Amino acid sequence: MTPEEFLDTIMEKFPDVEGEIRENKLPHPRKRVWINVDRKEFKELMKFIKEIDPKAQFSIIIARDGEDCLEAKYHLELFYDHAPSISLIVRTKCPKDDPKLPSVTDVFPSALPYEREVQEFLGLFFERIPDSRKLFLPEDFPEGVYPLRKDKKGISSAMIKNAGHPYKMKKEG
Amino acid sequence: MENRVEYWVKIPIGPIHPALEEPEKFIITLDGERIVNVDVKLGYNLRGIEWIGMRRNYIQILYLAERICGICSFSHNHTYARAVEEMARIEVPERAEYIRVIVGELERIHSHLLNLGVAGHAIGYDTVLHLSWLARERIMDILEAIGGNRVNYSINTIGGVRRDIGEKHKRMILDMIKYYREEVMPKIEEIFLYDPTVEARLRDAGVIPKRIAIEYSAQGPTARGSGIRKDVRYNEQLGVYPDLGIKPITPKEFTGVIKGDVFDRMVVRVGELWQSMELIERALDQMPEGKIKAFSKDNVALVRLKKAEGEGIGRYEAPRGELVHYVMANSGSEIPERWKMREPTFPNLFAVARALVGEQLADVPVAIASIDPCLSCTDRVAVIDSKTGKKKILTEKDLLKASIEKTREINPNIKAKPEPIAGTCGGVRP
Repeated sequence: MTPEEFLDTIMEKFPDVEGEIRENKLPHPRKRVWINVDRKEFKELMKFIKEIDPKAQFSIIIARDGEDCLEAKYHLELFYDHAPSISLIVRTKCPKDDPKLPSVTDVFPSALPYEREVQEFLGLFFERIPDSRKLFLPEDFPEGVYPLRKDKKGISSAMIKNAGHPYKMKKEG
Repeated sequence: MENRVEYWVKIPIGPIHPALEEPEKFIITLDGERIVNVDVKLGYNLRGIEWIGMRRNYIQILYLAERICGICSFSHNHTYARAVEEMARIEVPERAEYIRVIVGELERIHSHLLNLGVAGHAIGYDTVLHLSWLARERIMDILEAIGGNRVNYSINTIGGVRRDIGEKHKRMILDMIKYYREEVMPKIEEIFLYDPTVEARLRDAGVIPKRIAIEYSAQGPTARGSGIRKDVRYNEQLGVYPDLGIKPITPKEFTGVIKGDVFDRMVVRVGELWQSMELIERALDQMPEGKIKAFSKDNVALVRLKKAEGEGIGRYEAPRGELVHYVMANSGSEIPERWKMREPTFPNLFAVARALVGEQLADVPVAIASIDPCLSCTDRVAVIDSKTGKKKILTEKDLLKASIEKTREINPNIKAKPEPIAGTCGGVRP
């Protein structure tokens, strides 16, 4: 299945999603499919992707603090038995006052460690996640502080010690 | 039999443990010798690199990315450079792509030799460790000659590479390949493909079935050892790799069977050593003359990147599996909006943890089997009810009570009344 055919299949089932194919300039140009989906349809879309290729590989969740929203991008690789596989990026977002996305661990079990990582680092929570403990941060890390947030919930300057740019670092003591 | 209580023992391994190379914590739940559950806790080496990256510009991140890992330091800054190039639509000169292939494959050889040695060490075959690490020195010398450092050789820059490969390096690399073909590889094959002791120890140990490897998205030699034909260099049509004839290697080409055990993973690594040497030879033959980078100076690149918009993903097959870097531009600023990476060990660790369930404790690499029993003293015995999942910590007093009950059950005539000793070894005073 080519990326174009794949995108057409998705658009047929989900007419509301925005999708495009971008190509980079390597010696062998590489196409990636970028899909933008609302969080209501997101879970259904992921299930549908799993139906298209039951062996689809879940690679990464890239979560980001946008100005007014929290954004999550899921990278998946499909049809990796063939030489140019399909590289797919699904993007969804949620408002900051309701930071919730559906968990996809029942569709892709390997998503669990990434979801736990996003929960503790960005405060973007996943509904019905089977294991919501902290993965990287210590157990006694303060509640309500999410290190990669860029707003007030991020790490305040009072918490930072011996960090920053080496040339701009203030000498303590 | 309805009310039978399962006595499950929890053994914490790590974060600081003489048998582990790096700080990670496994909590292994045992039912007798059988592993019931493996829980992984990470973060003992968390340096907050993503957070630091929020305060660095594109060029500085190049050197920060390299320091994520000491063994695959080329892979990280290569993948990051690819992500930035995709984002800013920068074209890389062809000669630079060939140099990236050569250095990348040199790194793969040294990483695989290191891993084969560690595997030998884990089964108590330390001669393999010494010999493979001795052979590895040769490649470290070449990397030092090319990049100036044994590790963190910073070959890549945005839009190309920083160091050229000249005639002198080419001769050194060809000499090294000759030495490996004639001296090292026959020994390595003898040990990892034909030695009956190694086969007996590694066969059927730590099996990752293909289904679990797909479900938990195992990467690299771990996935290929389970029979998944997946290699980012091949799937992604990365750089000039398709011109060099890249193909994923599975143990089927060597031994004819795929079992997904430790032995198969080692076979894949041996196969990739051969493959990497061929790739380097072909790349040296086909390498064209020309420029090695798109921008003459770093500040020129930075000015271009400041205007960039959009986002890019870089993917590369690091020695351990698929490495992903993601960069999002922040137009008008020289600091990227978001930089995120994923290392292959992250999914592999969870795939292995899942695959260990149901195996014997002795099948966990010998490093974990030869655990100091005093560690179990530090954690008290916990009983987990498999129906409700509720935990109950048993103190010494409870255990004594349970054992008295059991003894009475077997032999009702016993009169003795044992008392808790409340010693120092995990004992809780009543």
